Amino acid sequence: MVTLGNLSQSAAFICSLLAMVLLLIGLMRNDLRFIEAGRRALTGVAVFASMAAFSLARLFMTDNFQVEYVASYSDRALPIFYKATSFWAGQKGSLLFWAWVLSIYIAMVAFNTRKETTRKNTPYIYLVLAAIVSFFFLLLITVSSPFDLLAYMPKDGNGLNPMLQNPGMIFHPPTLFLGYIGFTIPFAYAIASLISGEIDPDWLKKTRRWNILSWIFLTIGIILGGQWAYVELGWGGYWAWDPVENASFIPWLVSTAFIHTSIIQERRNIMKVWNMSLIVLTFLTCIFGTYLVRSGILQSVHDFGATGLGGYFLIFMIVVALGSIILIAESYGDLRTEHSLESLISRESTFLFNNVILLAIAFSTFFGTIFPLISEVVTGNKLTVGEPFFNMVNTPLFLLLLAITGLCPLISWRKSSINNLKQNFMYPFGLAFAGGVLMFGLGIREFYPLVAFTLSIFVSATIVLEFIGGARARKKLTGEVILLAFPKVIWKLRRRYGGYIVHFGVVLVVIGITGSTAFKLEKEVTLQRGGTMSIGDYTLQYKDFNSFQDRNRTVYAATIGVVKDGKAVNDMFTERRYYINAKQPTTEVSLRMSLKEDLYLTMPMIGKNDEITIKAAVNPLLGWGWLGGVFMVVGGIMAIIPSGKRRKAV
Amino acid sequence: MKKRSKKTGIALLLILLGVGVLILKGISDTGVYYRTVSEVLVDNTLLEERGVRISGEVEGGTITYDQQELKLSFLVRDLEEPEKTMNVVYIGVKPDAFDADVEVILEGRYEASQNTFFAETLLAKCPSKYEGKTEQIEE
Repeated sequence: MVTLGNLSQSAAFICSLLAMVLLLIGLMRNDLRFIEAGRRALTGVAVFASMAAFSLARLFMTDNFQVEYVASYSDRALPIFYKATSFWAGQKGSLLFWAWVLSIYIAMVAFNTRKETTRKNTPYIYLVLAAIVSFFFLLLITVSSPFDLLAYMPKDGNGLNPMLQNPGMIFHPPTLFLGYIGFTIPFAYAIASLISGEIDPDWLKKTRRWNILSWIFLTIGIILGGQWAYVELGWGGYWAWDPVENASFIPWLVSTAFIHTSIIQERRNIMKVWNMSLIVLTFLTCIFGTYLVRSGILQSVHDFGATGLGGYFLIFMIVVALGSIILIAESYGDLRTEHSLESLISRESTFLFNNVILLAIAFSTFFGTIFPLISEVVTGNKLTVGEPFFNMVNTPLFLLLLAITGLCPLISWRKSSINNLKQNFMYPFGLAFAGGVLMFGLGIREFYPLVAFTLSIFVSATIVLEFIGGARARKKLTGEVILLAFPKVIWKLRRRYGGYIVHFGVVLVVIGITGSTAFKLEKEVTLQRGGTMSIGDYTLQYKDFNSFQDRNRTVYAATIGVVKDGKAVNDMFTERRYYINAKQPTTEVSLRMSLKEDLYLTMPMIGKNDEITIKAAVNPLLGWGWLGGVFMVVGGIMAIIPSGKRRKAV
Repeated sequence: MKKRSKKTGIALLLILLGVGVLILKGISDTGVYYRTVSEVLVDNTLLEERGVRISGEVEGGTITYDQQELKLSFLVRDLEEPEKTMNVVYIGVKPDAFDADVEVILEGRYEASQNTFFAETLLAKCPSKYEGKTEQIEE
């Protein structure tokens, strides 16, 4: 298996080089046969990459601890399904996973474009993709092979970090990767257009599904990461502006901006340079994310340690950035458009503002993340910033963005007239205002939460109006009853309404984040058996303490009785687990979730005589946030379901 | 058409200006110094105006913890020069990874007169947190 893995990796690398050579010959000689051969070689990369991936999975399954990577992340006692996820528990396996997925994506592109090889841009797309995938395999076979052997055969492996033994581990890293990697495809399309000198006017249309699908994966990955932190790490939060979290958030922001302005380009054929630049930036920030995680230049909870891979990614990033800038500058004349934005108050300009703000958030997040590295040069002092910085800078920007989300559908394309504005604004504005006053009356006096909730009402109202408007228009057109017209119009225009559903999801996320940050309660108390504490509407009683042996760990569990508003509800159980192979214990969170609030319990310490310390938190409205995540993903998926008639994806 | 574009341009410029101001204000309001233990011992003149983040290692045998009061105190030593130390007081739950010789990152204020660091946050870095360690197997 080790030999197979090594050979397959090398074969994948050689195959990608071969593809490049064939494509170059084909381009120089203008010979389609070579280009077709190059296309097939690209597909071959996926075959070899899959064999390498299979080998590594097999090595984990068979407990082959002579393989250093397997010994580092697995052991005999590990449940079989975590053995499979250990594949991407470390950086070498992650890199193989990355290269493997990329090669499969590329094979999909090669398959879908098999009849388009005569088009001028297609060979260039292949070439760019081959170059990128060869970079990853070069790293795998030279500096970071997961198939390296130890000089001896250890009796058992080192085990998987207990914190990674959680269902989140199955989905969080791979979905993030699927998102990161997916943006390679539109990037390749854009660069191919630039190199060939013939800007394909349809490149956005052709890559739309890749963009949105990658965005969906990124969204899922980020939300699952937050949820994993929340239910597993036990510090009561879900987001800490940690460098690695930021590294996933920055491409999300940039790609969100890109998805919005690509709509403008499709509709009005403007902002071509802008979109070209945005996809390059999306791809770069994805690589930057990987670089940040691998280089060890910043301290992070996701501390993978410095691995020497950072330098390679840095060079790769510089090459991509400089190359793209030169290419865009050279094609600037072709990309420039005669039209430009016509009016400050038009739907186009709301998209532009949305972009500027998204990019501003991306920039401030990027800046804050790397600030410790540059502070000495900039300020002459070693300074660093943390959560307070990001919250302070980004909160007003997010609220501005939310306001634009609500304004956008109310403003018509090209230019809005005053009458048109008045009519459209009346209901959402009135509702939001009334809601704001009501909340003020109910005692929400802090500025940001009040603004956030009021804007949430405003945006929701505009979305509801859009849905009603659509259904009415269809009713008028077809004479259907409104109950029938409603789902039909949504399905028919699912691209548009999918977008609105995503927006509604964002509103829910805003509500969840606002509630759980502004109104969070937290308490840490040490209790004797029978002792009680209270938090919010809850009274908690420490009832019982147990310990038992379970699989590869020893578990200490406390039973906590819960009384809510004077009524006893179900007991909660919180645990500390000591894994055989780990030096430090893990905390098992006990959660009582509802849309109103979460009650969150952990037991960070056990003292003498069964004395325990309980950390309790009440997180209001957080459930809305997770629900919002579901809406965002469902809306996104809706927007890319192909129509039955012209099923044609790239 | 040109005129209207100008309006949009001005609006954009205002936003960018606002973002710039926000970032600068964010740094000046929330930025903290980061220092090593020995740097703080040598020079603590600036540290009264704003918080400071230090990293160091926990000196074994100096850890005391009062679970009722949730009060943790210990000596932290410099990563490079282990003879340089200061007292640390932290109120809160002791992190799982906290132990003798573990690297910690502290944020808070330094009181020079008592050579004591009053930490508001305490992060313990587990050396083998995510990176597998093969040395352990060889033992």
